[in-house]
Amino acid sequence: MDPSLLIPTPDSIPAHWGWLHFFFILTFVLHLLFMNAMLGSGIIALVKSLKGTRQDLPIAKEISLKLPYTIAFTINMGVAPLLFIQVLYGNFIYTSSVLMGWYWLSIIGIVIIAYYSAYLFDFKFDTLGSSRSIFIAVCVILMLLTAFLFTSNITLMLTPEKWTRYFSNAGGTILNLSEPTLIPRYLHFVCASIAVGGLFLAIVGQIKAKRKTGQENGNFKNMISSGMRWFSYATLIQIIIGLWFAVSIPNDIILLFLGGSSFATLLFLFGLTGAGAALFFGFNKRVWPSTGAVAFTIIVMVLVRDIVRAAYLKPYFVLSDLKVEPQYSPMILFIVTLTAGIGLIVYMLKLATKQRKVS
Amino acid sequence: MNYPVWELYYAGGGLLIALIAVVHVYVAHFAVGGGLFLVLTEMKGLRENSPAVLEYTRKHSKFFLLVTMVFSAVTGVGIWFTISLLSPAATSILIHTFVFGFATEWVFFTLEIVAIFIYFYTFNKIDNKAHLIIGWIYAVSALISLILINGIIAFMLTPGDWLESRNFWDGFFNPSFWPSMFFRITIALVLAGIFGFITAVFIKDTDFKEKMIRYCAKWLLFPFIFMVLFAWWYLAALPDAPAAMILGRSPELIPITKIFAAVLPVLFIGGLLMAIRMPGSVKKYMAFVLLLIGLVYMGSFEWIREAGRRPYLIYEHMYSNSIKIEDEAKINKQGLLSTAKWVKHKKINDENIFEAGREIFKLQCITCHSVGGPLNDILPVTKKFTVFGMDSQLNGQGKINDYMPRFMGTRSERMALSRYIVEKLHEKTETPAKVAVKQLPVNIPPFDEKMDEYVLLAWSKFGMHFISDSDSWWLLSPPGNDISAQLIRRGETPEIVTEGVELTYKVEPGFEYPSKHVKFWDHAQDIFGKKLPPDIGVTGYGLKGKMKLAKENPAFIADGIPVVPYPDDKTFNPYPLFTIEAIYKNSGKILARTRVVAPVSTEMGCKNCHGGKWRMEDVAGFSNETASDILAVHDKISKTELLKMAKKGKPVICQSCHLDPISGTKAKPGLLNLSAAIHGFHANYLTKREGDACHACHPSSPDGHTQFLRGIHNEIGLDCTSCHGNLEDHGLSLLVAEEKAGKKSVKRLMKHLVPTRVDTTSHIKPRNPWINEPDCLNCHIDFEQPETDETFNLWTKSADQLYRLRSDDVGIMCQACHGSTHAVYPATNIYGNKRDNIQPLQYQGNPYPIASNKNCKVCHTIDMDEEMHHPNSLAMFRNVR
Repeated sequence: MDPSLLIPTPDSIPAHWGWLHFFFILTFVLHLLFMNAMLGSGIIALVKSLKGTRQDLPIAKEISLKLPYTIAFTINMGVAPLLFIQVLYGNFIYTSSVLMGWYWLSIIGIVIIAYYSAYLFDFKFDTLGSSRSIFIAVCVILMLLTAFLFTSNITLMLTPEKWTRYFSNAGGTILNLSEPTLIPRYLHFVCASIAVGGLFLAIVGQIKAKRKTGQENGNFKNMISSGMRWFSYATLIQIIIGLWFAVSIPNDIILLFLGGSSFATLLFLFGLTGAGAALFFGFNKRVWPSTGAVAFTIIVMVLVRDIVRAAYLKPYFVLSDLKVEPQYSPMILFIVTLTAGIGLIVYMLKLATKQRKVS
Repeated sequence: MNYPVWELYYAGGGLLIALIAVVHVYVAHFAVGGGLFLVLTEMKGLRENSPAVLEYTRKHSKFFLLVTMVFSAVTGVGIWFTISLLSPAATSILIHTFVFGFATEWVFFTLEIVAIFIYFYTFNKIDNKAHLIIGWIYAVSALISLILINGIIAFMLTPGDWLESRNFWDGFFNPSFWPSMFFRITIALVLAGIFGFITAVFIKDTDFKEKMIRYCAKWLLFPFIFMVLFAWWYLAALPDAPAAMILGRSPELIPITKIFAAVLPVLFIGGLLMAIRMPGSVKKYMAFVLLLIGLVYMGSFEWIREAGRRPYLIYEHMYSNSIKIEDEAKINKQGLLSTAKWVKHKKINDENIFEAGREIFKLQCITCHSVGGPLNDILPVTKKFTVFGMDSQLNGQGKINDYMPRFMGTRSERMALSRYIVEKLHEKTETPAKVAVKQLPVNIPPFDEKMDEYVLLAWSKFGMHFISDSDSWWLLSPPGNDISAQLIRRGETPEIVTEGVELTYKVEPGFEYPSKHVKFWDHAQDIFGKKLPPDIGVTGYGLKGKMKLAKENPAFIADGIPVVPYPDDKTFNPYPLFTIEAIYKNSGKILARTRVVAPVSTEMGCKNCHGGKWRMEDVAGFSNETASDILAVHDKISKTELLKMAKKGKPVICQSCHLDPISGTKAKPGLLNLSAAIHGFHANYLTKREGDACHACHPSSPDGHTQFLRGIHNEIGLDCTSCHGNLEDHGLSLLVAEEKAGKKSVKRLMKHLVPTRVDTTSHIKPRNPWINEPDCLNCHIDFEQPETDETFNLWTKSADQLYRLRSDDVGIMCQACHGSTHAVYPATNIYGNKRDNIQPLQYQGNPYPIASNKNCKVCHTIDMDEEMHHPNSLAMFRNVR
């Protein structure tokens, strides 16, 4: 059966696809940052909690305080790109989601349990004692599982030739396990998360160390060096996984980045440079330059990823195929609200930090 | 259609969305009302300078954070996941239409998260005013979130001008936007009170606890009053169709609506009770019960709103099964399988019929129906059907009961789906019992052409009387056949004898005691208000007796003879014979004797669709299952309680509500007459079936045990539709008359009926049942050989033009010489042809009409050369055997 016949006809979009694409990339980068910080710091917290030494526990506790935020914002920042991807690639992602329906839906339950585990790990950190590891372990395992299901869906979405499996299994239990990129892609994200999680720790340490003195200051300093270690080694391993990932991608696509397309090649070089810079700054324990390098790398990698996605779907679909029935006033409403919203968030953060009660 | 369908089977039927949506919506409304609750309670604490109130607020904010941030936020995404899995096509329309509405809502969602985190983690840590500002930012953001989502949800029920304009704002500010918004806001406030109880009942200080519980009770009770008003406004603002659906058009919704109405006062009283001082443990218990009641309330409301959309997902744009309205005509023409993307079998053949049926099932049924699951299970609702019944159900689905979409696809696809449901899901195999029809002997009474002075002609006016032996449940018409007879004194100038003679009738042995075979006499008192002696009919006639002289014509008649097709030997015989004797009154001398059948059948095919089996001998009669299902369906569609009444021992006769010109019972004014109601209704389920539609219900099936169309017309290949049209035409002709009589209920039945014998419904000529019927002379113009074998839409003007009531100029009834309606000579009869041709055989030795082939001697004793009975009466009979 010709898989292209299966691809659902997309609905028309209300603005030029470029706008929607821009919002997609923008919010996806934000989602990735939070997701990486959440998953990575969670993994580190698990390791620290299991080790349970005097150096490790304060770090684990610090992460426990941060996890509810990072989970909340990962979900929140995930909503927007999920919205925009449905507008741009709805006919692909709805289809792949249906094929793995039970797994896809189970994410909701999995995330709720992970989330409450994180809260227990936070609120009951001291009272739970060593059994706290159970909660962070549950949280981390479930987050890793969620990441795997997302990876499975995103790869399935890109490979309509696999969709014919529906005719032998329509019960929503297809996982894209035969996909060669599945494992390296998954590990690529997990490893990136560990790196960013480490960096996140270092950033928190960096900010807080300034405000604290004595023992606490020492803890935060410790957090910086530990975080940067995680960051650097994870980034190093990431290069190997990245290569594996690249090799697993079909040749015609990866060749785009090796001279096939000058833009893609340039972007890829930027990404490699960013990663190299991150490594350099990481091993030198320079938090802010590392942060800059990582942010740059993530943005570049999201764009690289976008080119890969487009290349995968090219035989079937390009974004410019989407029919536009323009109605720009709702988009203007969104942009205005977004701007005002960012302003309000800044204002609230100011209120929260500047209006401290004198006790 | 466009997307693959997730085969859920057990968990289908909306179970997943119900589970996720109900809890999410409940908590999400709390997230809105609770925000206001927090900030206003904090203000109260500050105003009263009460650390206790502030501490309560802080604790409540923690509870609030855990419930809304985690559960509400994730289940909110969960709804999105779920709808995109269950109805990707509809989700796609929502997302593509409202992407920037959703995106804007996301900004407020983000603000909510930031604000509630800061609010909780800075409690008592930042300046009061700053903390309150954060609280207000949360509350307002949550409220705006609700307003934005409300616009999109309300859109699905009432898309309004969007249907034409496709404009975002038309869709967003749709007809139910405002009432829905105010209703939801008040619900959110009520829920803030209910959730407030949950934390308040755990306060340790008893007095303070009571104070806070009362405070929460106010949150429940004051908005409650407005909530009820807004609910009413909401309902009033809905267009007629969804409002009707909510108010009872959809029978499945009625229990939910009842729950909603019942829970409403309970919630209010619960709120009042909470304000009364009572032991803490009781209040703890009550608080959680109220929380549960609130969930039921919210759940039932959302259920009602969802069901109000039926049969659409997006009103008048996309059906519940994700098929767009604009695609319906194309699918009906080209077929569903060839139009849909995610199917394997594009064409149906004998090998793949079940697989194809399964694919059609997935595309059309599975969105709303589970298979064996707790919600909307397809199995119990299709259990009763045979393949024919299922096919017919699908044929009429969504036409009269418009809470389901109509079946979309070709005839063969409909059959594939029917066979899949019946033969695969129910694993039913149909092997129709073949009961052989026995030839029954008939003794033709003797006639001596030379010596006999009289000719006695007899017939049954209606040619077939079909009765329902479902007496304990309902009655279509009382058992009651009729016999008519004319006595002619032979001679050169024959004479119709009406005086000085007595005509008697007597049923053949075995049929004398119908009360042994049907329960009619057990219920006659309830139905007719008078007790009938066993074996005596409503008009007073029994199985033997004297005939009376008819008023309108010189014929003798006995009507309402309660004969049934069940002889004592437990067989089925729809053609019982009666012996008629003409007796000279003065001397008691028998002047003439003949025999005639009084056809009566219980072979009504209701069971084909209503389930159950034949009651008698696998050939005829109503089983309890069939009879009770008919009442259940009537109750469901017409909101009656007939089944309940029948179970209490009070069955009804159809004519007690639906007028029937020949039975003369009192009917309810305004209701459709019986023929129009029955034919008009069932025509929707039996379209384009030619004679099969008639055979489905009437005892006319060529495979049946009655085959009542037995006149010469049957033998030469005509069928019911030749004179009556297809069922659609037949039903429409009756409905159009009722429409002209100002009866509004015809609309529902006529909406989807398309005539087949004329171009449009406007060409259909109205007719009243039993009065305006096809006239023989429509085809036999001037009694000549017809040039057509089809007549429809040309009716007798009045009753006296009917074949059964017409006579020639001298008073000989048409039927006297030509035989009963539907059995005109020469007739065939599966129990033996003689049975329906007794008098021609008796008086002429052939089965042709009396005096045909210039056999005037039968009465005149000499040959005649004048066509005085009707033109062409001296022609030779054409269809000789």
